[in-house]
Amino acid sequence: MPINLRIMVFIVALILALTIYKVLKHGLVPVKYSLLWILSIIVMLLIAVFPNFLIFISKAMGFVTLANMIAGVFIVVLFFITISLTIIVSTQKKRITLLVQEVSLLKENIKKE
Amino acid sequence: MNEKILLIIPAYNEEENILDTYNSIVTYNKENNTLYDVIVINDGSVDNTDKILKENKIPHVSLIGNLGIGGAVQTGYKYAKENDYSIAIQFDGDGQHDVAYVKDIIQPIINNKADMVIGSRFVQGSTSDFKSTKARQMGIRIISFFIKMFTKTKIFDVTSGFRAIDRNLIEKFANDYPLEYPEPISTTEIILQNYKVAEVPVKMRERLGGVSSIRSWKNVYYMINVLLSIIIIKFRRYK
Repeated sequence: MPINLRIMVFIVALILALTIYKVLKHGLVPVKYSLLWILSIIVMLLIAVFPNFLIFISKAMGFVTLANMIAGVFIVVLFFITISLTIIVSTQKKRITLLVQEVSLLKENIKKE
Repeated sequence: MNEKILLIIPAYNEEENILDTYNSIVTYNKENNTLYDVIVINDGSVDNTDKILKENKIPHVSLIGNLGIGGAVQTGYKYAKENDYSIAIQFDGDGQHDVAYVKDIIQPIINNKADMVIGSRFVQGSTSDFKSTKARQMGIRIISFFIKMFTKTKIFDVTSGFRAIDRNLIEKFANDYPLEYPEPISTTEIILQNYKVAEVPVKMRERLGGVSSIRSWKNVYYMINVLLSIIIIKFRRYK
């Protein structure tokens, strides 16, 4: 893995880490939803620092190049993040429906009295 | 017979039909000495539906946002539960359903023969001239076949929005009702939970105005969702 690529991966990981740090600091996202992101950043940093180990793994798994394995792994990670987001959104939808129903019924009851 | 009966009318942009529908029920009550109550659930309409409901003093709940048919009908069930109704009937506000058939669809519930009764266009004895388009009938047949395969119960008019339920199901649906594609999905769920579902023939008219909630280009998407849901429901465990 060329040294300039390693430096770039390292810098991108640092920028991502900084972004997530800021998001967490301002309380925009609860820590539990950021765990997958943090894990991804740690993996990126490991790639930049110890590329040889990863090259060994990717060879062992049958990837032609390290870049293919990295892309593959990140697609899987993004899949899981998307699924967890879908679950969160669906739960929110149910709660909003419940709120709309209860508030609307309450409004009607108040009008009657 | 001391049944307290409620007609739940979900309405989304039904300014053209809602008053006629309501008046037809009031007239029917007068002529036949029945006491069907009505609650219109205005599902966040953006036309004059709300104004018409207020001006004509039609009993209604106006949802503060648009929930879709499932969420709107469930609000009706919550209302039925709060006000202690023993039978709740979903009834379309667009003029498709005829209030004269209400007495038929509540009969199996009164006789304790069913927990839910579906007003059906396709069951034997239906004189309905209006049976929807060929493509939609085909869709209904496929869903019907799927439900039969997974529940061993034949339901003909699986998407009918003219349905009556008893007190137990009012309680159940008030707490938990599918928000998407509610009719075939809730039917499948309750059959698998050993509730009894009956079908009685009714006559339906073509819509007087407005647009049906199921649009043609959405039909394939609708079918895929409903059929997959039926399979998934089968794999759920019910207590």
